[in-house]
Amino acid sequence: MEQYLILFKNDFDDFVERLAKIQKLVAPVKRGSKSFAFDEVTAAEDVSLNYIPTILPPKKYFMPQNETIVEYEKKQNKWEAILYSEAITLFGVHTCDLAGIQCLNLVFSDRPNDVHYIIRKKRILIIGLECNDYCDEYATCGLMDNHNANGGYDLLMTELEDRFVIHVNTVDGEELMGKLAMVKPADAESMTMLNKMRNKKREVFQPEIDIERKELKPLFEESFQAEVWDSIHEKCLSCGNCTNVCPTCYCYDVEDEIDLDFNKGKMVRKWDSCQSRPFAMISGGENFRPERGGRQRHRYMRKFNYPFEKYNRYFCTGCGRCSRTCMAKINLKETIETLIEEKK
Amino acid sequence: MKRKTVAFFDFTCCEGCQLQVANFGEELLDILAAIDVVMFREVMSEKSDEYDVAIIEGSITTPHDVERIKEIRETATTVIALGSCASIGGINGMKNSFKLEDVQSYVYGEDGKNYFETIPTMAVHQVVDVDYFVHGCPIYPPEFVKILKYALQGLPYTVKDEAVCVECKLNENECMYEKGLTCLGPITKAGCNSWCINYGNICYGCRGMVKETTKNASIDVIKKYDIPMDWIMGKFDMYNKATESEEKK
Amino acid sequence: MERTVLLKSPYVASEGRIIESRFLTKEEKYFKIALKGGKLLDFVPGQFVMVAIPGAGEAPISISSSPSQVGYFEIVVRKVGTFTSAIHMLEEGDMIGIRGPFGSGFPVRMLEGNDMLFIAGGLGIIPLRSLINYVIDNRRDYGKVSILLGCKSPENLLFSDELDEWQQRLDVNLACTVDRAAPDWDGNVGLITSLIPGVTLDSHMTYAIVVGPPVMYKYVLTELVKKEVPESQIYVSFERHMKCGVGHCGHCQMGSLYCCKEGPVFNYAKIKDNIEAL
Repeated sequence: MEQYLILFKNDFDDFVERLAKIQKLVAPVKRGSKSFAFDEVTAAEDVSLNYIPTILPPKKYFMPQNETIVEYEKKQNKWEAILYSEAITLFGVHTCDLAGIQCLNLVFSDRPNDVHYIIRKKRILIIGLECNDYCDEYATCGLMDNHNANGGYDLLMTELEDRFVIHVNTVDGEELMGKLAMVKPADAESMTMLNKMRNKKREVFQPEIDIERKELKPLFEESFQAEVWDSIHEKCLSCGNCTNVCPTCYCYDVEDEIDLDFNKGKMVRKWDSCQSRPFAMISGGENFRPERGGRQRHRYMRKFNYPFEKYNRYFCTGCGRCSRTCMAKINLKETIETLIEEKK
Repeated sequence: MKRKTVAFFDFTCCEGCQLQVANFGEELLDILAAIDVVMFREVMSEKSDEYDVAIIEGSITTPHDVERIKEIRETATTVIALGSCASIGGINGMKNSFKLEDVQSYVYGEDGKNYFETIPTMAVHQVVDVDYFVHGCPIYPPEFVKILKYALQGLPYTVKDEAVCVECKLNENECMYEKGLTCLGPITKAGCNSWCINYGNICYGCRGMVKETTKNASIDVIKKYDIPMDWIMGKFDMYNKATESEEKK
Repeated sequence: MERTVLLKSPYVASEGRIIESRFLTKEEKYFKIALKGGKLLDFVPGQFVMVAIPGAGEAPISISSSPSQVGYFEIVVRKVGTFTSAIHMLEEGDMIGIRGPFGSGFPVRMLEGNDMLFIAGGLGIIPLRSLINYVIDNRRDYGKVSILLGCKSPENLLFSDELDEWQQRLDVNLACTVDRAAPDWDGNVGLITSLIPGVTLDSHMTYAIVVGPPVMYKYVLTELVKKEVPESQIYVSFERHMKCGVGHCGHCQMGSLYCCKEGPVFNYAKIKDNIEAL
């Protein structure tokens, strides 16, 4: 049976403190003057409930920026695949980022599946946090249908006036809430409030671009030769910000790090960006994606075209991070709008 | 593996990069177990004319420097340029924005200028072949160790040609441009783990530029953030004047 | 942080030992490798392995020997960067890590009963040699066998002893050309495309297998189409930057295709419209 709980805001401090005692608790916190980041918290005062998407998405807990995947000993010619992991409660994940994690789950479950990712994922309990309104003008979650959660969480919290309504989606979530006395079953009043808010959301969140979602795939499929890539080529600095902040970018490099004894060492998986010049270059020097325009096109195709073929799903969550972070002001909404114009 | 003999040399520089090595702390013991240091003026009094690896700090700024670096190159099997002065010319490159006579009289005075010969600042590779580049002002110690390992194994090492922004994002720093500051991260070669920005400073471009020139894009960004062009050029010239016109290493 | 050893990770490497090595030219070195405990590397021609060297990292390397040779496999590596410099330092008795085999190989069963036209430019002969020797080892199962080889100069020719053997066989036609040569070279001089018009073939029962540097494909494929070889009967194999071998790391992607997983062998008809492939 579907289960809803409530937590009154008066109890929020206590709630966070208790959660942090059960296992490592990670939540959005303020970073710098205007930005946010997921980080470890121990008290409610550290948590920013009202935040725009964090600099890096929560993918950093699922595939860390630097991750040891192999340890070796040269003299013994011994190679071991290794995972370093910990149990984490990931609190306050917006619905766009829930969708991002779902995309990564698909990729790393592809055969041969990446057990490093899969085991780490199992050790993370996800508490989502619904967005009742837009974070800012960069988001396209309405178009991508990620303003509401489509699964992908153990618990989902919705902020309503003096309380949170919590949807329990998994047994793990139920078990965790069972440990917290301040969380009560939801009453009819709370459910009415929730429904009222959801109805209001239907008006607030509308497709941000004038295109039907299902038309995005054909739009991109037919746009390999579009002129927009030439103008983006001129704009792009090739800094890699757009891919590093993307919740569904998962490309990586593997680096060898040997100790100074030249015997023990490890292989480290590191985030890599298809926007950097050497990404598709082979050691002979041939570069298969030498143009910045071509590299940007590749990034877009990996969101709107290729994954749709493979997983029947877009890999753009609508979080808006790529546009928000781009110094050259390459804007996802504008790119799509230009493509629509070009097609006409 | 036979331990290689290593000698440190300084040219025009502040010797701060060698100080970084001397200051390694515990890891220095691991390094000293892997190499045999035969000359390192900052930490020992012994000297040697024989060495496998020459680690060069400083730029080439006098005719005497040119002769000396050529001799070192002939002796050493491996030459490592240590720090910006050696790897890209660095701060000393600012001299190249002025006439040599003016520089001479400014530094040594009208009476002294004739006693000291000077030439435009050059990075080490502009005079002799360099096998490894450890960029930075000062060097980033973990990168030095990493490159040293490649050098000791006799394997080529290429500094990854991507911007400081890449590492900065992975460290999840708030962008300096968001704070209203100008930062050379977008055009500066990574490898320092965005060291300065992690500690709240901007990137000064001390590691040299990324290979791909994005002139139009850079001008766009400068305009958008309303940054005076001469100001950004001043920042750029601070480290990159000596090597601005060459194909980037 | 808890440390877990993962036995089922795609990053688990097998222990390989170099049992023979020699320089084929100044730049290319040959290695014969056996897996620990006589473990079989179960591969088809056209597949590759990820080779790991502590301190230098990992790189994708084509298998050059035929699977009909058991107990070992062979690779040939040109020295171009960090990893390849490291492997050039290795000799008989040295140990390396091996993952794989990875990728799609050549469809050897489907090719049976057909004429084979092998076209290799430069280092393309290294992976193609696996298939050529496989076909020669099962010679009766195939029709006419023609091999066209091209490289920069006679000094760059790989496997010259083997080329002589192929040359002497009645059931193999071999033609060779170099881009430039000293006056004492009595063979062909010119691009590999110049050899194609001279080949007599029954286009409908010919499968053409083309492996070479990126610049070569366009010209060779044009010549083959002129010869009326159906596009669906042409196979190509690509070289790309690879870091994982299992279709995750993204480096080898060409359009939507992962070269390491869906390739490196591709059917020309299926790839000709992929603008990032050719």
